[in-house]
Amino acid sequence: MPGADKETDLTERIEAFLADLKRGGSGTGPLRGSGEMARETTYLLRRITAQARWSSAGDLMEIIRNEGRRMTAAQPSETTVGNMVRRVLKIIREEYARSRGSSEETEQQESLHKLLTAGELSEENFRQHFVHLKANVIEAINELLTELDGTTDNIAMQALEHIHSNEVIMTVGRSRTVEAFLKDAARKRKFHVIVAECAPFCQGHEMATGLSKVGIETTVIADAAIFAVMSRVNKVIIGTQTVLANGGLRAVNGTHSVALAARHHSTPLIICAPMFKLSPQFPNEEDTFHKFVSPHEVLPFTAGEILSKVNVHCPVFDYVPPELITLFISNIGGNAPSYIYRLMSELYHPEDHKL
Amino acid sequence: MSSRGGKQKKGNVTSEQEEEEQPLQAVLVADSFNRRFFPISKDQPRALLPLGNVAMIDYTLEFLTSTGVQETFVFCCWMSNKIKDHLLKSKWCRPTSPNVVHIITSDLYRSLGDVLRDVDAKNLVRNDFILVYGDVVSNIDVSQALQEHRHRRKVDKNISVMTMVFKESSPGHKTRCEEDDVIVAMDSKSKRVLHYQKTQGLKKLQFPMNIFQHGSDEFEIRHDLLDCHISICSPQVAELFTDNFDYQTRNDFVRGILVNEEILGNQIHLYVTQDGYGARVSNLQMYDSVSLDMVRRWVYPLTPEANFTDQQGQGCTHSRHNVYRGAEVSLGHGSQMEENVLIGRDTSIGANCHISNSVIGNNCTIGDNVVLDRAHMWNNVHVSSNVEIHQSVVCDGAVVKEAVRLNKQCVLAYNVVIGPNLSLPEGTVVSMHHPEEEEEDDDDEFLSDDQEVGHSKDKTRQKAFNPAEVGPEGKGYIWKASMNDTEDEELAQCLWGLVLNPDPESDSESEASEESQDRSRSVSPEIDDVNAFQLEVLGTLQRGLEENIVCDNLVLEINSLKYAYNITLKEVMQILTRVVLEYPFQQQGTQLTTLQYTGSLLPLLKTWSPVFKNYIKRAQDHLDCLSAVEELFLEQDTHQTAMVKVLMKMYQLEILEEEAILKWFSTGATNDKSRQLRKNQGVRLGQICVWGKPSQNVKGYQFGHCGSLILLLQKETTLLIFSDGVQRKQTPCSQCHKKESCGMV
Repeated sequence: MPGADKETDLTERIEAFLADLKRGGSGTGPLRGSGEMARETTYLLRRITAQARWSSAGDLMEIIRNEGRRMTAAQPSETTVGNMVRRVLKIIREEYARSRGSSEETEQQESLHKLLTAGELSEENFRQHFVHLKANVIEAINELLTELDGTTDNIAMQALEHIHSNEVIMTVGRSRTVEAFLKDAARKRKFHVIVAECAPFCQGHEMATGLSKVGIETTVIADAAIFAVMSRVNKVIIGTQTVLANGGLRAVNGTHSVALAARHHSTPLIICAPMFKLSPQFPNEEDTFHKFVSPHEVLPFTAGEILSKVNVHCPVFDYVPPELITLFISNIGGNAPSYIYRLMSELYHPEDHKL
Repeated sequence: MSSRGGKQKKGNVTSEQEEEEQPLQAVLVADSFNRRFFPISKDQPRALLPLGNVAMIDYTLEFLTSTGVQETFVFCCWMSNKIKDHLLKSKWCRPTSPNVVHIITSDLYRSLGDVLRDVDAKNLVRNDFILVYGDVVSNIDVSQALQEHRHRRKVDKNISVMTMVFKESSPGHKTRCEEDDVIVAMDSKSKRVLHYQKTQGLKKLQFPMNIFQHGSDEFEIRHDLLDCHISICSPQVAELFTDNFDYQTRNDFVRGILVNEEILGNQIHLYVTQDGYGARVSNLQMYDSVSLDMVRRWVYPLTPEANFTDQQGQGCTHSRHNVYRGAEVSLGHGSQMEENVLIGRDTSIGANCHISNSVIGNNCTIGDNVVLDRAHMWNNVHVSSNVEIHQSVVCDGAVVKEAVRLNKQCVLAYNVVIGPNLSLPEGTVVSMHHPEEEEEDDDDEFLSDDQEVGHSKDKTRQKAFNPAEVGPEGKGYIWKASMNDTEDEELAQCLWGLVLNPDPESDSESEASEESQDRSRSVSPEIDDVNAFQLEVLGTLQRGLEENIVCDNLVLEINSLKYAYNITLKEVMQILTRVVLEYPFQQQGTQLTTLQYTGSLLPLLKTWSPVFKNYIKRAQDHLDCLSAVEELFLEQDTHQTAMVKVLMKMYQLEILEEEAILKWFSTGATNDKSRQLRKNQGVRLGQICVWGKPSQNVKGYQFGHCGSLILLLQKETTLLIFSDGVQRKQTPCSQCHKKESCGMV
């Protein structure tokens, strides 16, 4: 039976993706960049839309929400996955509304009254069957994929507006987005980049090699020297793992100290973050916020006897409060941290914040 | 997995197309073939014992799956039904699992060797496979080692049969198992294993010389390796096990391969990793450390909160100081979870408890004022108030009543009840199985059916519990490892590792002697050969004397012996000297006086002088012979005075040359004893040279005032010999003859 075959193929793929997520991250952060992760999630969601059995938008949303819940549980630190699930859910809502003929505007608008009356009603609404819904949703997801493909370029394009000649730029660790951003600027301008190595994983070294290959004057410094060097720096440009709902960051360890040093010297702190990194999560002391990996990098296993006498921890992420951030550069332009809430409501439906 | 799998596939297309089409296979041995975990493993096979609330076999399977293994054969013997049930329920047997698990059970497996012979008989593996035990916890990425292994096999035409995975960790590491402590000599370039030996508390280690005489010029002798018990094997491994039916363990195999390397041409290689984690839970000591390592996240991403087994309700949250909480955990007022604590679901903890470095299973209840440190509690354990538990294991369903104190290394096996008001001494093991029942079972050597356990339980009931041992309301018997086991070939059957053996000295000694026997038997053949050669030479000379054989024929015979035992020329001479000098002792006993000794020896020297002359030709030969003489007389220090006579005789017989004797005398003595010897002999030596046989070279001799011997040679030169054998710069001495110089500064 071909239908059943398809289904097992689909579940196999989902399982493989979940297993991959669980093992994701050897220690140096995610195995792949978040961009790739976002794309892979979206591909999988498109496949679910195409192959799973559903008759109405409500069914489909339920399926996707279930799978999304499992995916986010598999690797809570990988927020991109949850974000893409929310994006797809939003797409389904929009397509359903359009098929029904009601304008998107009314669906979008929020009011206190609506919040109070909403709930069961909205679920009821998605029960209607439309023939073209599937094709439309897939079409919209394809658009999303095209958007994802272009994010890094879109951000890099804005580089010349922010980087001027003979500036000294500081960055920390390695971010593919920032790397593309700096490389783009280097085509026209000459500037100096200082890279904090970001121990214990030292992705900064990789970043510096990448930058110096295209002829950018690059200096690697130890993390301890960040404050000392900051006085010479004109701008700090960094990437992040997640942009939180309050405009704060969850970024690689050491970013907070960079941000504080930048604030002390009144150096602008610019974050390069594509929109898919925007997450409706708040920085509460939730247990999933942190990610602790094997302490091997901090104190190697070979150290021997001492290991039974000390506790070694190796956290991966830092929280940076929004007050320290000057500007976000995303694929749709520059935004201040205070504007994040608005972007959030544009990208996700409020009911999907919690999957 | 898909990414790694993808990568492999890509690499394969270019390099090893046909071979790589086949999926990667693994053989998982879910049986330990020993009783280290008795009495715990009497009720539950070792592979299913929980480590961090997850059965150990799940860690192994997860490790295999994440390396890209697509087909795993699980071999079970002891309580195979339980293992089978567990696996069938787990995610590994779901149709979507990327790793297909086949379960093979048989009661006939007695060792790893049996399993691999069965693998060969059933023709299960077609390509390189990974061999692990069901109690290995690891997150090592083996794909690198696998690639190296395949590369070697391609280049060297299947010479390499096995690659063992080791983890670098310095001695003294908590996770290093004393029993598995190994010394490995390897070729640093090709990573080939040249010598492999378990240390097991040996103070002296010997390496056969021939391993260093092979081609390469760089060797490493390493003691900083932790055996992960993960090996990548070629299909030949299974065949080799079939061919050699006496191979029981991997250790046998490795030794066998190394000893027979030249005959069979097989080699074993090593893969040393610095990243990742890999250890085998081979005793409770290891259980304790691996469990703690896991909670401390060394095995990331195999952490408790990852819930990699994908079981409903097993999830837990991770918060600061490595505290993990399952669902529905309740913690009483004032209780503290200090650090490295894992608490399973539905567990409730009372007020004012202190918990650190512990793992607590599902559905446990813990009373008030309880102190837990390095406690490992499994499921459904009840602990009443005011209990203290230190570094102990409490199995499923055990009950610990009020005010009980478990000191270090206690074990409460399944369903035991302890207390109240009792303090268990260190190392107590309490079990529902009566120790005598174990002895009875011993007769039918291997217990592998559950029936037997059930039927012995009936017997147990008839015996009363001893309240002094387990407390007034207690249920259970103190378990003592039966004496038979320690005499076994296997290691001491102590639950906790060797380190903590109650009687470590006697044990390590017996181990050591056993080991040394082993070694002389198999690993280093030289020692044996030298001894055998010496006996043969003695026999030859004896016969020569008795049957009046011409010396030339003796030489011929010794020469042929030399080749038979692969002895170097230098050794021949030393042995010959030694045999001749010891001959009088050999014949007439050791109580000879010096006079009798020399009396019987000197004629012998004369008879055999042609033999000596045949071997002692070069200057170096003379020195070697002299050092052999010296060595012997150092041992026989009552006969030291005979030495000068021996030397004189040899000099007269022209076996030794005068210059050689003088040179030997003047070269630095190696230790105090030999210095002393030379001092005593110094004066007499002059007599040899001058009076023994008038020499053309020496005019006369005299003594420097400082005790040195000054030989006046004819060619206007003066040879200075100092009594302590040390060369000093010659400085003019005002008290001696004008032109003479002596050692006095």
